[in-house]
Amino acid sequence: MCVFCDQYGDPKHGNGLWYLNPKNYSRNMYKLRDPKEGFKGRMDGPEASIPSHSLSELIRLADEGNFEQFNKVHQARVKGGAGSQVVPMADADKVLELSFPIGLIACICRKHYRAIDERNEHEYTCMGMGVGMLKWERWPERYKGGVKFLDVEEAKEWNHEMDERGFVHILMLFGAPYIGGFCQCDYPNCDAIRHTVDFNIGNVVKGHYVAMVDYKKCNGCGICAQRCQWGALKFDNTLGKSNIDIFKCFGCGLCQTACPRDAITLVERKNVPAVAEVWR
Amino acid sequence: MTYGLPAARKFAKITIDHTKCTVPFLCKKCLQICPELVFDVDRDPQVEKRGEEVDPRIDGNYILGAHRYDKCTGCKLCLEVCPVNALTIEVPIQHRETFKASH
Repeated sequence: MCVFCDQYGDPKHGNGLWYLNPKNYSRNMYKLRDPKEGFKGRMDGPEASIPSHSLSELIRLADEGNFEQFNKVHQARVKGGAGSQVVPMADADKVLELSFPIGLIACICRKHYRAIDERNEHEYTCMGMGVGMLKWERWPERYKGGVKFLDVEEAKEWNHEMDERGFVHILMLFGAPYIGGFCQCDYPNCDAIRHTVDFNIGNVVKGHYVAMVDYKKCNGCGICAQRCQWGALKFDNTLGKSNIDIFKCFGCGLCQTACPRDAITLVERKNVPAVAEVWR
Repeated sequence: MTYGLPAARKFAKITIDHTKCTVPFLCKKCLQICPELVFDVDRDPQVEKRGEEVDPRIDGNYILGAHRYDKCTGCKLCLEVCPVNALTIEVPIQHRETFKASH
């Protein structure tokens, strides 16, 4: 069972998946995330969620050859990490039904790395969720960037649109189990995926599914090959079909939604013994 | 699970002349051309004040960084596009031992 389901799941709701437990969307969650002391310094904005500051420290330490300190910093990072989980599109739809309010916002990673202007409504690639959205003025910069509130149907439509464009859906936690954001990520522009793929730092918890190819149905069109952001799906030249490394698969389901022949299915992770307990 | 460095090599040294590069958020040429996404823009910590708006379009409010210099390949595309020649890159060709840290 994943770390979150263990603590926040309810077998009565959503097959025990923590993000389908309505209790985790109650209004008081937002308060729960803020400890008595409140936030300090950089912690007052979503920029704080960008771990690049501690990552750059790791890079610097490695560059200097200070591996003892490197280990310490890295271990602290791993302990404090685990703030997000990958979900497939269908599950994301269910999350959107449970959450209120829902608003589109600019993506902080893309602003950080590609200088995408947050003030442009058409560039919004992130979704904020929960009562935190109403407190957006806590972050004046974001507030200026703006929020576009959506109803459930609009949000689902947007979710499908982003899926078509090939973005991975990741639930972002701001103090588990409060889901504050619903990110649409791709490699290498997003921190979450980039850190996982490039640096093997487990900030993202894998989804509850893994994708498997049905070789009888796959005709080798290769459409799915351009969708995988995790380096798990490759085109197998020998067989002329797609091949998925389940050990690398995060269960985002992008390949599944793209397949025109329904050759890819999402299998529940717990049914695949080798990866049943592999969450990082 | 292990944390591995991208390659067993010395990292490139990237220096940015902040007196020349003043509005990276508007220019963004190097940010958008880098295939390895080495660069980033962030609020200048010296300008930043808690709870106050920092407009990225005003000179000097945002500064360019190259925090992911471990990924720099030395292709120098960024040097070509930089309109103010604010960047210099040195790519060492020495190698070092691989290092892996365990979780």
